[in-house]
Amino acid sequence: MTTIVEAMNLKKMYLLGKVPVNALRGVNLKVESGDFLAILGPSGSGKSTLLNLIGALDKPTEGKLLIEGVDVSTLNDNQLTDLRRRVGFVFQFFNLIPRFTARENIELSMSIADVSKPERRKRAEGLLETVGLKERMNHKPAELSGGEQQRVAIARALANNPRFLLMDEPTGNIDSKTANEIMGLVKGLNEEKDVTAIMVTHDQRLATQSKKTVLMLDGLIVQETVN
Amino acid sequence: MKARDTLSYSFSAIKLRKLRAALTTLGVVIGIAAIVALLSISQGLQNTITVQLQRGFATDTLIVTAGGGVGGGFGVGLGGGGDSGFTLLVNDTQTINGIPNVDMSLAIIQRTVNVTVGGTNKIRTIVGVDFADYHNVYSDTFVADRGTIPLNPESNIVVAGRRIIDPQLNGTMLADVNGPIDIILINATARPPTTITVHRNITAILKEIGSFGVGGPSDSSVYIPIAQAQTLFDTNECDMIIVKLKSSDQTVIDNASKAIKDKFVGEVSVISATAVLGIVSSIFSIIELFLGGIAAISLIVAGVGIMNIMIVSLMERTREIGILKALGTKSRTVLLIFLCEAVIIGLMGGAIGVGLGWVLANVVALVFRGGGVFMGGQAAGATGGMTITPVLTPIVFLGALAFGVGVSVVFAIYPAWRASKLKPVDALRYE
Repeated sequence: MTTIVEAMNLKKMYLLGKVPVNALRGVNLKVESGDFLAILGPSGSGKSTLLNLIGALDKPTEGKLLIEGVDVSTLNDNQLTDLRRRVGFVFQFFNLIPRFTARENIELSMSIADVSKPERRKRAEGLLETVGLKERMNHKPAELSGGEQQRVAIARALANNPRFLLMDEPTGNIDSKTANEIMGLVKGLNEEKDVTAIMVTHDQRLATQSKKTVLMLDGLIVQETVN
Repeated sequence: MKARDTLSYSFSAIKLRKLRAALTTLGVVIGIAAIVALLSISQGLQNTITVQLQRGFATDTLIVTAGGGVGGGFGVGLGGGGDSGFTLLVNDTQTINGIPNVDMSLAIIQRTVNVTVGGTNKIRTIVGVDFADYHNVYSDTFVADRGTIPLNPESNIVVAGRRIIDPQLNGTMLADVNGPIDIILINATARPPTTITVHRNITAILKEIGSFGVGGPSDSSVYIPIAQAQTLFDTNECDMIIVKLKSSDQTVIDNASKAIKDKFVGEVSVISATAVLGIVSSIFSIIELFLGGIAAISLIVAGVGIMNIMIVSLMERTREIGILKALGTKSRTVLLIFLCEAVIIGLMGGAIGVGLGWVLANVVALVFRGGGVFMGGQAAGATGGMTITPVLTPIVFLGALAFGVGVSVVFAIYPAWRASKLKPVDALRYE
């Protein structure tokens, strides 16, 4: 097993208006390839901030964050952008582009990574089959249920063969039955296709379905549990 | 992102808000249409004037008038003399004929008087010329449509311009060949002044000329033999001398002009067709610059509209930009996506604008031509029955397109730059 993500004394401070907020106050974390990690914690505990840093959406204020051995804080904007293409991000509010169909949304992330058009189509259809939405690939997000949209989002996140999947409250906006289906899908990907996954949630019950859970409070990891 | 993908992404964004895109494009359309219409009409007008000048003022002729100095040439036909009291005399043609490269020259006496034809009294120009010489110089225009122009005319005849007989140019003739025409002269020396009516016969009617060349024949003039003019107006002075050169070569024109000026010790102005055309062309460049400038303002306004819409669209699409960036889109690509939208709007607006401007120019030209129908005979008289054919030069065509795209892009730079600078975390959080 290789270490994919390693955080050392990671700190993040940002301004909320004019008030400085210490979102992360020295986080130490190690994620190995093949892991399925759940980051659990109440809102405001800094779990989303940590996820954004791992996903190269933001830069740390202090400390070290190594993604595949490279320190994120030393990267410039272009290098961060390249890194983002190797990360699969899944958001709470799906964040699909409304004017594109399910397939086009998946193809978009590949076109950003300069994948050729026929290859995009082939891969998008394969991914939609994996998430069980092949029949609905020509539907726009508004014509899909929340669960279906999140499956499209997961398929999109997987489109560029990412090193790991980052999920920010992936089931936070869908009913519990569908949430279980989504979790089943992620678990399947992790176990069968060896996709490394990091998930942020405040739902204790969902967190226990992962391989490992860390609990965050006030910008620090306070507890680590292997499930 | 590949260029083609960027383009199709921009297209999909425009297609999403069709009405908004259409209205934004309309601004560009109006601006470009105005530029194209104004420029192609003025270009057409310039061409018309140039052609008419060339027809009415052959390139191998010079016009000599009294009054030296710069620009004095525009006193042509008003019979103005210089401050020195120098005036040209009818037999000064003999002096001019002796100058190298001069083929021949002829004197013109002209006055504005009342003329009665078929019971209709109008103010007209009476021109006294040697018919044979005049025809020699203006062989295309001093040509009879009815009757014949006598080379050794009797004293009691006139040659009438087309509008003298047919003022509306619609075939309603006030008189015909051999019909009477009355010239009403003022005896200014009598106290109180009296009028003298001179009866003449029409021996020929000129074909329609349509042009308004300096010195050349016109539709609204009555021509009488030069000797008659000298008698009627009791003068040996002439208003201008038309000089026909042996060649229309520029050096011949320049040398002869200078020689004539020198001969009359600077007391005359000599103008050539090329000089007049030069002046016309420079006047038109100023007019075109002015009109183009006005039209450009409307395009700038359109540009501000584009900027405004882009900023609104930027706010609406903040989240979308966040998604794009989270998926690994480079800032440069986001910038390109927005600029690409501006290019599409500019190109569409430019293309439609050029087409619309061209149609507009032709409609205006048509109204101009049909002026007589819309505004009565006076308008037709004012335009001299001029026909304007709008001209769309490739420079105007491509320039207008480039200007449309240029303005769109320039005004899109700021919103596009702002979009590209958005931080993914902030953009995704944007509601």
